[in-house]
Amino acid sequence: MRAEGAVAGEFILDIQAMTKRFGGVTAVNNCSIRVPRNIVAGLIGPNGSGKTTLFNLLTGLLRSDGGDYFYKGEPMVGLTPHEIFNRGISRTFQIIRVFREMTALENLVAVSRDGDLGGVRRRALELLDFVTLLRLKDEYAGNLSYGQQKLLEFVRALMSDPEVLLLDEPAAGVNRTLLNTLLDRIRQLRGQGKSILIVEHDMKVVMNHCEKIFVLDYGELIAEGLPEEIQRNEQVIEAYFGHK
Amino acid sequence: MAERTPGWVYAVYLALALAGAGLPLALAWEGFVGWLAQARSMTSLAVTLQVLASGILQGGLYAVIAMGLTMIFGVMRIINVAHGEFLMVGAYMAFVFFMMLLPEELHSLFTSNLGMAILGVGVFLLICLPLMFLFGMGVQRLLLNPVVGGPELTPLLITFGLSLILINTFISVFSSDFRAIPYMSGALVVGNLALGYPQVISVAVSAAVTGGVFGFLKFSRLGKAVRATAQNADVAMVCGVNVERIYLYTFGFGTALAATGGVLISIQLAFSPEIGGIYILRSFAIIILGGRGNYLGALAGGILLGVIEGFISFFVSQGSQLQELAAYTLLVFMLLVRPQGLLGGIADE
Repeated sequence: MRAEGAVAGEFILDIQAMTKRFGGVTAVNNCSIRVPRNIVAGLIGPNGSGKTTLFNLLTGLLRSDGGDYFYKGEPMVGLTPHEIFNRGISRTFQIIRVFREMTALENLVAVSRDGDLGGVRRRALELLDFVTLLRLKDEYAGNLSYGQQKLLEFVRALMSDPEVLLLDEPAAGVNRTLLNTLLDRIRQLRGQGKSILIVEHDMKVVMNHCEKIFVLDYGELIAEGLPEEIQRNEQVIEAYFGHK
Repeated sequence: MAERTPGWVYAVYLALALAGAGLPLALAWEGFVGWLAQARSMTSLAVTLQVLASGILQGGLYAVIAMGLTMIFGVMRIINVAHGEFLMVGAYMAFVFFMMLLPEELHSLFTSNLGMAILGVGVFLLICLPLMFLFGMGVQRLLLNPVVGGPELTPLLITFGLSLILINTFISVFSSDFRAIPYMSGALVVGNLALGYPQVISVAVSAAVTGGVFGFLKFSRLGKAVRATAQNADVAMVCGVNVERIYLYTFGFGTALAATGGVLISIQLAFSPEIGGIYILRSFAIIILGGRGNYLGALAGGILLGVIEGFISFFVSQGSQLQELAAYTLLVFMLLVRPQGLLGGIADE
């Protein structure tokens, strides 16, 4: 089955009515989101609104209780996490999860799939250079600063040259310099034709860097649009601050 | 909220701790007294060195066995109770190969010619290890894979059941008599030290296998994926690692390591279908000693236990019985005093 009406190439991610329940709690409720190709998009919402759960569904870490999702028109529900990764969807985590007892370089080499070891190593070194971590390549990841670990996790997600990048709170706990590096790299990836979906609480980052924003509340999509539209949206304001 | 722990519980803990610390102290004291007595009658340094060397040879073997157990635990968080039985199967495979498949005229080659003896073990490992690797993968695929990620007790009970099945199958096929392979006896004499040929061959193979495991984990891409999975399976998954396949290989490797230990035991000691229990207990003690999931810890713990056992059995009167006690005592003592092990284990999630 292919996504109905999906003009091939228009939407890179087409999420249709996905639902996930944990016991009595519906974390993601009948959620439909279409992410256009080649974009930096934001996914926001109050705590517990289902953003991370949605990422876990998209990467196959959780199985959905209903709904479908298509990547480049291909159905993705039911694929295992590594299959999804191999198709070209990559992610980072809200709480950084680098492999602490491996060096920065090993962190990247461990996750790669194709190509000879020499080529993989070259790519890993290029990516470390991309985020200014090259001189720390032989340092254990657990010894890097929080921000450096975040950058390492970011390039680890890039090892497979993915088309879609899901970033879970990339700005949290990162100092300004490293954050600017990160945002600059995200712009470069956008320039290379990639699509980036960012979960973020730092509204400055979201409003200044995202071209389109999706807002979740209680697992439902309550708004989508340009940053300035979202800032004026009554429902969004209510979700964040309650009734006036 | 939890209720306040009554005082007598602490009293019991304290009593256990004192018992745990007291036993090795008592052993050490008796060992010291015995050693003093021995030392007066012998040239003590030479003897001490001899016991130390024998202990290291024995410990190398322990390390290989424990490494398999710690690998499976580290990557899959499964306590493989059947590990000792995998070892026993390895020993019996060697037995069948040497005693049944090899023409009798060739037996003398293994007892008279050192080169042939080494070659024989090498060839046999080349046949046995791939078979046990496949066997381990089969166990993982058919028995353990369906319950991975479920309650921790389930795989424990499954491997326990498997160990009973293996023991009783081997008893019904080979009987519960002790068997032995006629192998090279005699010793390599280095200075004042006399090192038995089987032990020397065993430690050489252990060293090669240990080095191979370290190299594999450190440098190969599959090894890196294994370590990544051990550190965080969920992350490894979304980073493109086929975790299910890693589990399959890991169980295969762990089983092959146990079987390596079995083959090495078969050339130096008699064995029966029930020997697994002794070795799994030692392996548990070793990985608690070194740190759960820590390969270097398994190596250090194995050699340490070998040396401790050597000293106990040599210097303490009734030592060979007390030797068995060393592993138990260390296990309890370490859990009470330093539960993370000497070199630190993997973090509990």
